[in-house]
Amino acid sequence: MSTYITADCIISPLGIGTKQNLKAMEQCRSGIALQTNQLVADTEIMASVFANATNIDGYTKLESLIFSAIDNVVATSGISLTDKHTAVILSTTKGNVELLAQSTTCINPKAYLWNVAQTIDEHYHLANQTIVLSNACISGVSAMVVAKRLIDAGDFDSVVVVGADVLSHFITSGFLSFKSLSANRCLPFDARRNGLNLGEACGALVVSNRKTQGSICLRGGAISNDANHISGPSRTGYELNLAIRQAMAEAKIDVADISFVDTHGTATVYNDEMESKAVGLAELANKPVQSLKPYFGHTLGASGVIEAIVCVNELKTGLLYGTLGFEQTGTPITLNVSAQHQTLPMNSCVKTASGFGGCNAAIVLSVNDGATAELEQTENEIIASVEISNGVVTKNGEQIFANSEADFATFIREAHKQLGEANMKFFKMDDMSKLGYVAAEVLLQGIAFEPEKMGIVLSNSASSIDTDLRHQELINAGDADASPAVFVYTLANVVIGEICIKHKIKGENTFFVSRNYNRQWLHHYAQIAMQKQQMNYCIVGWCNLQSNNYNAIFELVKK
Amino acid sequence: MEELIEKLKGQLIEELNLEEVTPADIDAEAPLFGDGGLGLDSIDALEIILILERNYGIKIENPAQGKEIFYSVKTLAEYITKNQK
Repeated sequence: MSTYITADCIISPLGIGTKQNLKAMEQCRSGIALQTNQLVADTEIMASVFANATNIDGYTKLESLIFSAIDNVVATSGISLTDKHTAVILSTTKGNVELLAQSTTCINPKAYLWNVAQTIDEHYHLANQTIVLSNACISGVSAMVVAKRLIDAGDFDSVVVVGADVLSHFITSGFLSFKSLSANRCLPFDARRNGLNLGEACGALVVSNRKTQGSICLRGGAISNDANHISGPSRTGYELNLAIRQAMAEAKIDVADISFVDTHGTATVYNDEMESKAVGLAELANKPVQSLKPYFGHTLGASGVIEAIVCVNELKTGLLYGTLGFEQTGTPITLNVSAQHQTLPMNSCVKTASGFGGCNAAIVLSVNDGATAELEQTENEIIASVEISNGVVTKNGEQIFANSEADFATFIREAHKQLGEANMKFFKMDDMSKLGYVAAEVLLQGIAFEPEKMGIVLSNSASSIDTDLRHQELINAGDADASPAVFVYTLANVVIGEICIKHKIKGENTFFVSRNYNRQWLHHYAQIAMQKQQMNYCIVGWCNLQSNNYNAIFELVKK
Repeated sequence: MEELIEKLKGQLIEELNLEEVTPADIDAEAPLFGDGGLGLDSIDALEIILILERNYGIKIENPAQGKEIFYSVKTLAEYITKNQK
């Protein structure tokens, strides 16, 4: 089976449609500018923000962008969204989270990520429910990996991947509290780099099993976890390198075939340091390396999608865009970065992303066709299961802990105490992470595995809503009141990061959001992921928590 | 100084969610970060920066600058005493 990118659309402050965006990039224009009107931040920040976006009646800015981008790729590819062989994957970190500013007691339903999916379903009368992937800053690249896998498995003929995030005080205040924003335009990999710029954008592309004239082949993809820290990247870069190598192995592509590497390149000191090491470990340090962040800023859930679209077009045209502003290498491993555009003979490229929760993702795009190995039709073997709800913890159907305490915080503290595990970090986690952490602790007792051979695929409906509300309540008084220790947990996949750190799990890690637990589908996806990344085990489950209503269903499956 | 050290211990326990730790458990001269001690990390360092800003009016713009200042409760207290306006 081969998969191709058959249509693409970028909507960013640089332009509407891929063409306008590429034109702006050719002219070395950047969407990043000083934001002085306090719309997205209390203080002046450098960011790439839409100057005058008009919403479609009855829809939010995010939804309007999503519709425009999907309309565009549907028109150019000619696919039908009402066809049962077509799926849509939405990649977003925070959806319509700015709506929480209206009220934290009466939550606008649009603030839930599953609601955005439902809005898309209804707008297009989709045959299949929109799949939501929310895995911090790798969401977009992960969504492309998942799209390819679902097509390879024969589930669909075409998958529309749409990535979108918009800026608000919610997001900017968190990044400000992390002191990760630069006061100037970001300088990826440069010695002078001192932080990132945020941006808003939407990108959509079609992944299809049908080749069209000149379409680029999506030949491989993989996802890994650092198992090191929830916000700080790996010290060695080994895990991102692992994702790159696995993606290249699936693509059956050698180092010699790689024409360039498009990195995450946020321009924070630690991210770029880690990426340089990873690119070095993957033996790609001599290849032309670029970061597109100086054009778009860091567009979160959209970044992987819009940057992959630029890669697709670079492969088609032979023009590699420069990393604006780059002058002098400032990373431990010297990469081949250039501020100037250059013309290259094109074969294949690697696109990477890394994010909070310690996650990394990589894909390989190529001008040449390449079929990936066939998947086997096998069932997961269930090794163990754990359920936590209503004050009771059960393992393999047997009750192992019960507490009549109605308050979740008290219940989970007692459940954790009973495990006899002395991890100070437990107390710093948010409630959803504590729930998943305890479930995984019980699930993995007595299980031995190699770090790279175990993956985690989780889902829920509330995303990180409790912590989102906590962060919103803090910043209601002003952006400066944001707490980094709270903000980091406003990403649902951080629970996976906590479990990976504790159990040294470095394989696939993906977080989906759906209104109800779609157990069968998640097990199906885990089976594909295990085959694709040569993993033996995967934790598959549901980890949902909202104001003292909680439910964790974790299963350990074997390939 | 002793008074400030005790106050800081309380603030660290409160703001950094050091559950099950009492002020008496914290050795004022022991390292706050890394293995042993309280095992704090980079997010805690950012929270300590906020404690200094909000309670003592001291701004530290560059987190890397915090390494020596944040070594122990005692070094923190000394820095506050020296820099508080």
